[in-house]
Amino acid sequence: MPDMQPMNQTVQETPQFRVLTEDQIEQIYFAALDVLERVGSRVHHDEALELFRSSGEAVVGDDKRVRVPASLVERALKNYPRKITLKGRNGKRSVALQKDHVYFGTGSDLPFTYDRKTGERRRTTYKDVMDAGRIVDYLPNFDFFMSHGIVSDAPNPQTYDRHQFMAMLEGCTKPMVLTSVDGEGLEDLWKMACVFQGGEEEFRLSPMFVAYIEPISPLTNDITAVEKLLFAAEKGIPAMYTPCPSSGATAPATIAGMLVQSLAETLLAIALCHLKKPGMPLIMGGVTTVMDMRTTTYSYGAPEMSLASAANTDVSKWLNLIMFSTGGCSDSKCLDEQAAIESTISNLTAYLSGANLVHDVGYIDSGVNASLESLVMNDEIIGMVRQMGKGVRTDEEYLALKEIDEVGPGGEYVTHDHTYEHWREWFLPKLMDRSDWETWNNEGAKSMSDRVNEETQRILDTHEPLPIDDDARKALKEIIDAAEKRHSK
Amino acid sequence: MAVDLGKMADLLIAGKVEDVSGMVQEAIDEGMASQEILQSGLIAGMDVVGQRFKACEMFIPEVLRSAKAMSKGMEKLRPLLIESGATMAGTFVIGTVKGDLHDIGKNLVAMMFEGAGFKVVNLGIDLDTQVFVDAVKEHKPDLLGMSALLTTTMPKMGEVINALKEAGIRDQVKVMIGGAPVTEEFAKEIGADVYGANAGSSVDKAKEVLAA
Repeated sequence: MPDMQPMNQTVQETPQFRVLTEDQIEQIYFAALDVLERVGSRVHHDEALELFRSSGEAVVGDDKRVRVPASLVERALKNYPRKITLKGRNGKRSVALQKDHVYFGTGSDLPFTYDRKTGERRRTTYKDVMDAGRIVDYLPNFDFFMSHGIVSDAPNPQTYDRHQFMAMLEGCTKPMVLTSVDGEGLEDLWKMACVFQGGEEEFRLSPMFVAYIEPISPLTNDITAVEKLLFAAEKGIPAMYTPCPSSGATAPATIAGMLVQSLAETLLAIALCHLKKPGMPLIMGGVTTVMDMRTTTYSYGAPEMSLASAANTDVSKWLNLIMFSTGGCSDSKCLDEQAAIESTISNLTAYLSGANLVHDVGYIDSGVNASLESLVMNDEIIGMVRQMGKGVRTDEEYLALKEIDEVGPGGEYVTHDHTYEHWREWFLPKLMDRSDWETWNNEGAKSMSDRVNEETQRILDTHEPLPIDDDARKALKEIIDAAEKRHSK
Repeated sequence: MAVDLGKMADLLIAGKVEDVSGMVQEAIDEGMASQEILQSGLIAGMDVVGQRFKACEMFIPEVLRSAKAMSKGMEKLRPLLIESGATMAGTFVIGTVKGDLHDIGKNLVAMMFEGAGFKVVNLGIDLDTQVFVDAVKEHKPDLLGMSALLTTTMPKMGEVINALKEAGIRDQVKVMIGGAPVTEEFAKEIGADVYGANAGSSVDKAKEVLAA
């Protein structure tokens, strides 16, 4: 496990980063409560509507619009866990979601993949997802895995999520965040995870995955999203309800306005899950960005995305909710300077903000194209970013007064014990080149992208994740086959 | 019981300066051949250090510790090696040219050469041309190293080479130059024999030239 020292640390009082003041957070929160009371949110799901109706507090209109009073939201908010620890199929409880602990992972379901052999963009396959899994399994700065690509060669679009999870499991042993087709799909994924975790009860204590669920901005909840949410609540499956508003299109054109609406969308889920079963592990989210006004692209590289996401994280901490955020992604069509710049800014901002799960690392082409090389490049970026989180220690050993005295004017530290003991606390580059010109030139004058390509190939050639044993494989196949049978009718 | 030279090499790789030095003394006391202690103990260890350094498994602070262990061991071995007429890595005189007070890069190179078994004479910094000429006459080194960090002091290295020619001793010594602004091209221009791009590769390049 990489360094897991908390971000935004106050012990050493460095470094600290915050976008919103406490007053601003309160303004956004009260505004969101106001939206839920006056505007409400449309819910396309009968059981959910019934839960709201029978609460005696929420008001359900004929147009399926649900308005929720602050009293219900505030009562619900008190019941969510502030800590969830995820365990991978490798048995390691490696992701402890709690305040200021930051973990990085991929995004999911990219329809296209950059083909390393042909250099072309093509549909993503089962093998691509497995390969992305192997890369994530190997890279030390990736803590969790989302599928990266979508398995487009599955037999049936209604059951693709089971195959996708299988591809992910084959490639990767780390905790995961999973998308699913619908409630039934989520149930199968949960059963598959329970194969590794020794049943439902163990899964509840250290779940292997978080269910990714999203509403439709503005203020709309479709049937599959709600059925997933209710199933997760019932079984205690950690879930995130993560609005993906684009400022200026599906949310106000101001960051504050987008945050208000996004929070209202989240708070509706907070109220609903509470009515279903209090205390389920719900995670706050939000991929809050702008729609590019020349191209209509939903931007994954905009500075506004990073700024709004960090502000949203400030809100999540104030609400004592675990936060799902975004970083390491780009609008660039290939892995170039733009991708490096955008990835760096969003990774650093998300990290400094102290968001808990930072996803979409490695996305290029605005969340359309998958690049394995981007994962490898981002691992190095995150390594550098995490170094920032260490801050500056100022205790006696670190002020080094004794050593400065010993070495004196004109001396050297390179052979000093203090150097020998501390220099390994530095970031050790794997892909960044710091050699002299002659050495660099003699070794082939390689650019960053040359080195990223070579490292990607090396990992693909050599890394084999812990295999899945035959019993587990059989149990997983049974679940998948049963789903195929149900859907082939 | 005979001293385990494999263990000596391991201790040297681990940078255990005192332990290596102690073991060398033990081996000498037991009457082990000095050449064997050098080859199967110290050099065997430093070869591994060199490989690990190139493979980015060891880094400068660790390499210098091992180099120091080597150098301490050599202090004990050298008189015996000379006595037995063994071939040694050679003598290396190094200094920073006039006008340049930068010390660390030159010292790193010196330490690397010590680690490779050279007898190193470190002349210091800000040296007059004549100091280099005198040192070559006095120590009769196999290799003379000069470094400059400033572009303004680089030409001084050429002056030293010319002074060696005038003194009629240019042929007696190979000259290596290095420092951040120095290039292979510049080395050729002023008639140096070796260009050391960095502390690690300098030793390898120097060995090649001396072996040729």
